[in-house]
Amino acid sequence: MPGSKTGESGPSRTDSLFSEITTFFTSVRTTITLLFLLAAASIVGTLIPQDVNLDQLSRTAAPVYYRLTVILDLHQIYRSWWFLLLLILLSLNLLGCLLRRLPRIPGEWRGDSVKSSFSFTVSAPRSAEEARSLLVSAVGPLLGGSPQEIPGNDGLKLVWVKHRIYLLAFPLIHVAIIVILVGGLIGLLYGVKGSIQIKEGETGGTFAVIPSGKSQALPFQIALDKFTLKRYPTGEPQEFRSDVRILKDGKEIEKGFIRVNHPMTVDGISLYQADYRLLGVRVVNLLVVDSQGKRTEIAVNPRETTRLEGTPYKVRLRGLDPGSTGKGPWVEMTVESEEESPSTVRIYKNSSEPHQLTKAAVGFLGYEPLYMSGLQVGYDPGTNVVWTGCALLIVGFFLTLFTNLRGVEIELKSKGKTTVARISGRSRKMRREFREKVEATLREKLDAPDGPHTEDREQSDTNSQFRKTI
Amino acid sequence: MTSIELNTYVVFGYLACGVGYLTAFVVSSKESRLRTVMFGLFVLVWVIHTASIGLRWIESYQMGIGHAPLSNLYESLVFFAWAMALALIVARLRFKSDLIVLIGLPLPFLTMGSTFLLNPEIKPLIPALQSNWLIAHVITCFLGYAGFAVSFVAALLLLFTKASEGLAKHLPQARILDEIVYRSVLVGLPLLTVGIVTGAAWADYAWGSYWSWDPKETWSLITWLVYSAFLHARLARGWTGGRTAALSVVGFAAVMFTYFGVNYLPGLHSYF
Ligand code: HEM
Repeated sequence: MPGSKTGESGPSRTDSLFSEITTFFTSVRTTITLLFLLAAASIVGTLIPQDVNLDQLSRTAAPVYYRLTVILDLHQIYRSWWFLLLLILLSLNLLGCLLRRLPRIPGEWRGDSVKSSFSFTVSAPRSAEEARSLLVSAVGPLLGGSPQEIPGNDGLKLVWVKHRIYLLAFPLIHVAIIVILVGGLIGLLYGVKGSIQIKEGETGGTFAVIPSGKSQALPFQIALDKFTLKRYPTGEPQEFRSDVRILKDGKEIEKGFIRVNHPMTVDGISLYQADYRLLGVRVVNLLVVDSQGKRTEIAVNPRETTRLEGTPYKVRLRGLDPGSTGKGPWVEMTVESEEESPSTVRIYKNSSEPHQLTKAAVGFLGYEPLYMSGLQVGYDPGTNVVWTGCALLIVGFFLTLFTNLRGVEIELKSKGKTTVARISGRSRKMRREFREKVEATLREKLDAPDGPHTEDREQSDTNSQFRKTI
Repeated sequence: MTSIELNTYVVFGYLACGVGYLTAFVVSSKESRLRTVMFGLFVLVWVIHTASIGLRWIESYQMGIGHAPLSNLYESLVFFAWAMALALIVARLRFKSDLIVLIGLPLPFLTMGSTFLLNPEIKPLIPALQSNWLIAHVITCFLGYAGFAVSFVAALLLLFTKASEGLAKHLPQARILDEIVYRSVLVGLPLLTVGIVTGAAWADYAWGSYWSWDPKETWSLITWLVYSAFLHARLARGWTGGRTAALSVVGFAAVMFTYFGVNYLPGLHSYF
């Protein structure tokens, strides 16, 4: 734009500004810079503690650091305005690239706007027909199938193209990233996350929003019938499970269970098993053997002192372990009688014999725990958008990995007994190998080890064209 | 024999291969029978390594807590070493470069050796780890990492050839090394992508959010960004040789940090 140099004419000045902006947004240099900036910002976010309380920070941190944190959102980098800005710039960059590239793809698909990446000429003392069938049998195995034959004015043109589908990789991958970012944005704007704690036998309908802690109502109620904690014989937890019923206006609309890794979804709202608390023990079941050897089972309320029938003892529960150690569950209780001073005993559920007291024996049969189940509540309308983007991304990636657009074009011209074949080829990947293979195969077939010309146009392949124009 | 004992043999097997390869290179500078024999031995050790992973799987079922052996740091290190050895074998077959194997062998050897420091007991799976997404996640991530490891080894060699002409005479041609650097990333990046996506799916099922900027997640994203930048530098800006090799080294540093370093960051949890 000659006018822009003088800097006098208004329109051309905006023109050049406009073209500068366009160049910025279509440039891969911008992409690389943005990717590195995003990486750097992400690193910072893993070094500085995130999601800390600002008020607390104002009291503990240096004033300068506090100011910086407030301005740059250092306590929530991944939600900060400048991180978002980087993502928006990346999206615009992606759009720019796509807008620039997409219009060329149909042409490349048809094959008319394609530059060859190499070409050479061979001549052989054969008739045109002979040369044709030789070439077809030579190139066929390389590129699969028979060529498209286009008769020309003084000869014949043979065209092979393989793996056109490769051309879809670029749009798929780059559209996918935009789709994923849009999905993330939808989640950020319209998604809600929260947690809800429900006691066994009770019903919950409001959850605490994360991270604000405000409470919000669910469009339904969750009745927790039972929480189960199953353990491996070694004591490690094997399963956390909440058996729930979903109620709407008092009527049951769904019944099921929620386990870790198996959420339940109601009206688009997902419920996840997050944690649990052992609130207490409803009853402890003991076995009592009196001095005559008579065995009775009794249920002990953990909050009361209980007389053991048929013995002089009274017990009161001190503690209970549900089996967090390898030794299995145990109870601890104080035992007292008129004659004996109070003593504390620990009784294991797994021991084969009841615990021996002076005038009786006591065994620990089991207990009924009272749990509170912690559920996570999640609503994110962007999730499926993100998964769609991920699927596109993976398909695109595997197209680039497992396919390669290749093509060979041969123009045949006969002069008397000699046929001259002008061969040109292109390949999006592994160019050198492809050229060497095509050349070796064809020269061998045609018996023409030293062709007159081999012009290597490697430098003018599509990539470097693209590089120059960008 | 138990899989834990078998792993001990595997560690010393890789060591033996390394020593043997080194000898083969010192004894004769050209292609030699000895190198082929050493490669055969390497493949054999890798097959035993494979068998040990399979055996551990079977053992866990015999203990009644059956699960794929990919659930803790010990098991993931064994799998990581296995994947890197596999990648070296593939690179050797594809690019006919024994030097890649020689320089790369310390990676599976040291990774396997480091498992001596850990408790090798087979533990039952806690509920959060009971997910098929997790299995797909671990396998694809580590296969991707293995691709990056090969790229890293070739990048180191390439940087050596740049650094010294005397050294360059003994190394594969820079052109071939450059190809290995690039092709390995081209294999690694799609695998890492699948790894991150399956990891996100697991997180979504287990905790109700597909991405929570957990440091491990964040570092895998950083790795992914670095290799994406690598690919664009190479494909669209025509970077080759030393510059992409340097990027490959940076990328692998990010891989290592994702795997080992994250645990040392302030105040975080990690599953492995
Ligand atoms: C995080 C975002 C991005 C990812 C994951 C990504 C991924 C990829 C991948 C995997 C390829 C190789 C595809 C092929 O072989 O054709 C590629 C190529 C390319 N990308 Fe991106 N890309 C991203 C962003 C961008 C942006 C913002 C631009 C805009 C300038 C861009 C421009 C290009 C170009 C020009 C190529 C070269 C294609 C070729 O020559 O074959 N990419 N990208």
